[in-house]
Amino acid sequence: MGPSRGRRYSLLVLMLAGFGIILFRLVTLQVLQAAELTARADRQHQKSVTLEGARGTVIDRHGKVLAMNVEVPSIFGVPTSLDNPANAARFLSPVLHIRREEIEKKLRQEKHFVWLARKIEPEQGHRLEQLSIDGIGMVMEGRRFYPKGPLLAHVLGFVGMDGIGLEGLERRYETQLHGEKRMTILQRDALGRTVFPKGLREQVPAAGHALTLTIDEVIQYIAEKELEQAVDHSRAKSGTIIVLEPQSGAILAMAVSPRFDPNAVAALTADRWRNRALTDTYEPGSTMKVVVAAAALEERVMMPGSMLFGENGRMTVASTTIHDHEKLGWMTFAEMIQKSSNIGAAKTGMLLGESRLYRYLQAFGFGQRTDVDLPGEVAGLLKSPREWGRRSLASISMGQEVGVTPLQMVSAVAAIANDGVLMKPYVVSGMRDQKGQLVKETFPHVKRRVVSPVTARTLTTILEGVVTSGTGTKAAIPGFRVAGKTGTAQKVDPRTGAYSSALSVGSFVGFVPADSPRLAMIVVIDEPQGEAWGGVVAAPVFRRVGEQVLTYLGVSRDDQVKIAMVAPQ
Amino acid sequence: MKSVVITAGLCLVFFFVWERVDIVRLGYHIERLKAQKVLLERERDQLQVKFSALTAPERIAKVATDKLGMVPPQQGQVLIVHPQQAPPPSLEQVRIARTISTGKGER
Repeated sequence: MGPSRGRRYSLLVLMLAGFGIILFRLVTLQVLQAAELTARADRQHQKSVTLEGARGTVIDRHGKVLAMNVEVPSIFGVPTSLDNPANAARFLSPVLHIRREEIEKKLRQEKHFVWLARKIEPEQGHRLEQLSIDGIGMVMEGRRFYPKGPLLAHVLGFVGMDGIGLEGLERRYETQLHGEKRMTILQRDALGRTVFPKGLREQVPAAGHALTLTIDEVIQYIAEKELEQAVDHSRAKSGTIIVLEPQSGAILAMAVSPRFDPNAVAALTADRWRNRALTDTYEPGSTMKVVVAAAALEERVMMPGSMLFGENGRMTVASTTIHDHEKLGWMTFAEMIQKSSNIGAAKTGMLLGESRLYRYLQAFGFGQRTDVDLPGEVAGLLKSPREWGRRSLASISMGQEVGVTPLQMVSAVAAIANDGVLMKPYVVSGMRDQKGQLVKETFPHVKRRVVSPVTARTLTTILEGVVTSGTGTKAAIPGFRVAGKTGTAQKVDPRTGAYSSALSVGSFVGFVPADSPRLAMIVVIDEPQGEAWGGVVAAPVFRRVGEQVLTYLGVSRDDQVKIAMVAPQ
Repeated sequence: MKSVVITAGLCLVFFFVWERVDIVRLGYHIERLKAQKVLLERERDQLQVKFSALTAPERIAKVATDKLGMVPPQQGQVLIVHPQQAPPPSLEQVRIARTISTGKGER
């Protein structure tokens, strides 16, 4: 064994020791610390993000966009990594339009993350990108836009800052509208760039369903424009117009005044965005005579030519006096409706009796929700006959002691236009997924037959008389046969609990053309100043809206000479 | 024979390396395209909102009345034309129509 052999052994031992150390380290890294190190590597290479599909769009019956989501920038700060918050605030303030002190205060907080401004305009985001301030970041968030501004705002509703529907259709269809949320893990390289995350089959979260409405934006515009003018002109507190198709119950327009812009609701209160068409009840007054007349004709208690005595404008019922707006003597049943005699209606109600009148009021949908697909609808007030007083039969017959919503009233009158069949009103006609596939379609829903077609047609003729020679002459649309009824109801003064002589609701409800109805419409003007008769404040609005809508829909006037285009041979 | 095997082996190694590099390169390319798609979709949505706002009936009516001096049609000024309702014209009707439209009688 020479010295060379000894060196070889030494070398071997050294090598074995070296390999031993490597092996030890390998076992430590790969076996003992494997789980911890893998997790650390994952944290460095992977980024977990929650992706959310876009909120569904809302379009009108012709595909016009009424609400849609657009990704816009939101700005945040990382105070712990900011050297000079005052300087950053000085640059940010003019771009974000927020006071410098306010921004600086946020940036001086001991936090790792603060929102500075959410869902700002894209142009502001571009300007901030150019500024490139350390410690200030930007993420994209979906913002709900209502491109038509106040148009249809009470029906559409709005969403909150977190994109959840708070009012209107946005709330009612929240489940269907909101996009799918999905957690995804992205792989990042050393520079933080995303590397081919999940292959080509990466799952993108599905967008929410798109809603197609029965609303026509042009009809909606006409209704809102005329309602605003009428409310302004009569200095009323508020107003409502509903236009619907009698045969289907599809709502073409639902206008509420005063309006609001769903793009800027932060400073508004619920009073402003409440959809009064279905959340507020009012005593309908004489428009209720349509239902009383329908019941009387159907039950053969009255015929159009039946005679009634108007008691010269005064009649005592249960120690109280019922008045007519003029001294009426003998009149036919049809004239009673056309002249809107309270005494005649009270007598008709008495002939019908409590149970029959109540049955028809229920059949026409009063005292129960219409089940329209909008949130916040109330059932109105219809007491059971057990709770009626001695005057109730007369009062209800002339539209007192009963609370209705404008939607209930127009649905009831639309049933007369629809040959006696009550339809369920609806606003959403269909729902489509992000590929455009129809997911759900709403078909017209028959609630029930309330009167026979003969009764409906007889009553239509009587209601035409209201417009040609009765209280609703201002609703007449030249060239069309209009059927309808005026209503003027005193309101209960909340301070005294008694009917006020100053507060009233003027309304007109009807349909046109009477012989082949295309529209049923109600106009309600709440607390108009000055002359408050429904025939004065509401009937002209019915005419103006009806005239424009019929022209828009291409409905020919009865007196129009038929003109036809002849294609050249 | 040996050199052939070594060459083939090297080729396989190079091919494998090239394939991996190319996958990564394509991955980056796809990511860039995806980012571009997101930007374009965002721009499309913004334009859609702008288009919807510009075509709002309220705005059109305002432009028509305020800027262009137009007025809503009055009663009787709108005539509804129904192309479907006319029966096919007779040859005589067509002859008369042509005469009226050209202002010349047929000779």
